[in-house]
Amino acid sequence: MRDSMVGTWIRAQWQGWTKFWFQPSDPATLGVIRICTGWMLFYTHLVWTLDFQDFFGPRAAWLDLDTAALIQGDGWAWSHFWVVQSPAMLMLIHVASLAVFLLLMVGLWTRVTSVVALLIAISYVHRVPGALFGLDQINTLLALYVAIGPSGAAFSVDAWRTKRRNGHQADTTRPRVGTTVAIRLLQIHMCIVYLFAGMAKLQGQTWWNGTALWGAIANLEYQTVDLTWLVHSPTFVAFLTHLTVFWELFYIALVWPRATRPFVLAVAVLVHVGIGICLGMMTFGFAMLIGNMAFVTPEFVRRVLPGQGRGDGQQLPAQFASDNAKPAAKPHTRRTSKGRGGQGGQNRSARMHSTSV
Amino acid sequence: MRPRWQIILSILICLHVAAVFLGPWGMAPYDSALSGLLERAMHPYIRALSLDNGYRFFAPEPGPSHLVRYVATSSDGTEHEGIFPNRDTHWPRLLYHRHFMLAEFVNTLDTFAEAPDGPSHIRDACVKSYARHLAAQHDADKVAIYLRRHLIPLPQQVLEGTRLDDSRLYEEKSLGEFTREEL
Repeated sequence: MRDSMVGTWIRAQWQGWTKFWFQPSDPATLGVIRICTGWMLFYTHLVWTLDFQDFFGPRAAWLDLDTAALIQGDGWAWSHFWVVQSPAMLMLIHVASLAVFLLLMVGLWTRVTSVVALLIAISYVHRVPGALFGLDQINTLLALYVAIGPSGAAFSVDAWRTKRRNGHQADTTRPRVGTTVAIRLLQIHMCIVYLFAGMAKLQGQTWWNGTALWGAIANLEYQTVDLTWLVHSPTFVAFLTHLTVFWELFYIALVWPRATRPFVLAVAVLVHVGIGICLGMMTFGFAMLIGNMAFVTPEFVRRVLPGQGRGDGQQLPAQFASDNAKPAAKPHTRRTSKGRGGQGGQNRSARMHSTSV
Repeated sequence: MRPRWQIILSILICLHVAAVFLGPWGMAPYDSALSGLLERAMHPYIRALSLDNGYRFFAPEPGPSHLVRYVATSSDGTEHEGIFPNRDTHWPRLLYHRHFMLAEFVNTLDTFAEAPDGPSHIRDACVKSYARHLAAQHDADKVAIYLRRHLIPLPQQVLEGTRLDDSRLYEEKSLGEFTREEL
């Protein structure tokens, strides 16, 4: 009897686990994340071009090769900069890297370009340990999950070419297991990022006494918008300080339930846009918001993007749209869509994603 | 998906999520005996994928910012003085931020070096590397490097009229002076 209960419990846990990780989902969200990540990688590396030799040159860079290798400490921090010494060759690789990021953004040969983009991003990060900040940490994690999942399945040249080649037989909205795995990993990674960001703040006295945000506001080197007039509103500064800590600490718990997710994501927008505008870190803020997009359902993505109401880039006939849902029409997914029949395949597959989030 | 594949993928997912968690949790010098041990077990994977990040944004608290001031002296005695980051010369903002991080990085190394039994060789190597760069840039025979700390004024000070760029909010220490031969 007891064995049977334990066995039932284990089976239920396993079913929950497999549903969470392996239930196929619409690639719409991952497609948008790919576009934004490709753009961020392109822009970030384009800016390196302005001072390329100063940061990456083989001779007399800010951190020369020996010093960078000393800081990295071991051989696991690999980089092509350790082996390529020619300035011309380095610049050639740099230009090719920019092209790869652009290809990733538009979604051409995405299976290959996503992996190459990840390798390039990590390679650059390992070379310049002294010039990095949060942006680079988030860029590489975004690139990682874009490379893991089928990020070129939606909103991409690849999808367009497939559709053009195969006509209506092409199914660019087909729910995929790989999409779910990549989105889930990104979601969990974002939770870990915020958890440790919040925990680290607990060590600081000013995060407790409510003045930490003043430290950011009154920091001239960060400041892009003068908010020192908030000196007259210490209670409001304390509110923002405490909100930041509580939000970061509880993000990991409150971002999952549907009831609290909109609030958590709305605060994310406020915090990161605020940091971007007021502290001059738009790139970092944007990268964090891309990570937060992992919690936006594909259904919502298709609803807000023009021309995506029923298909990937074009309106699909209702019959075809219904066919799209067939691969995922397993017993447990039918349950989730009960009572919403006739909304079309995209909506159904998107719901499968949203119900399992 | 076949159950066998689900099991294999589940194991890989668990290992990866563990590495993602260990990146910040087992990061030196904030690691414990346990987190450090576990991090070492997955160290190659964590490093190779650049997962070794603390995610300590503005933590433990937003403190003073740091700048690097330098004086590069050419053989004819001409002095080139500069400071980074510099809003006037470093544009776009991301490039400014890269230079800002160079200054913050040397301060972090300096903080570790100044701690009891703290390693100073990495800070020294970093400062020398900056000096070599500046010497090459200005064709200088001598380079002096200073770390400038810009303190955050208290709210009460601002209410009393202190400006954010008040000279009393700046502290400076020398990080070294190097001749071309020493570089």
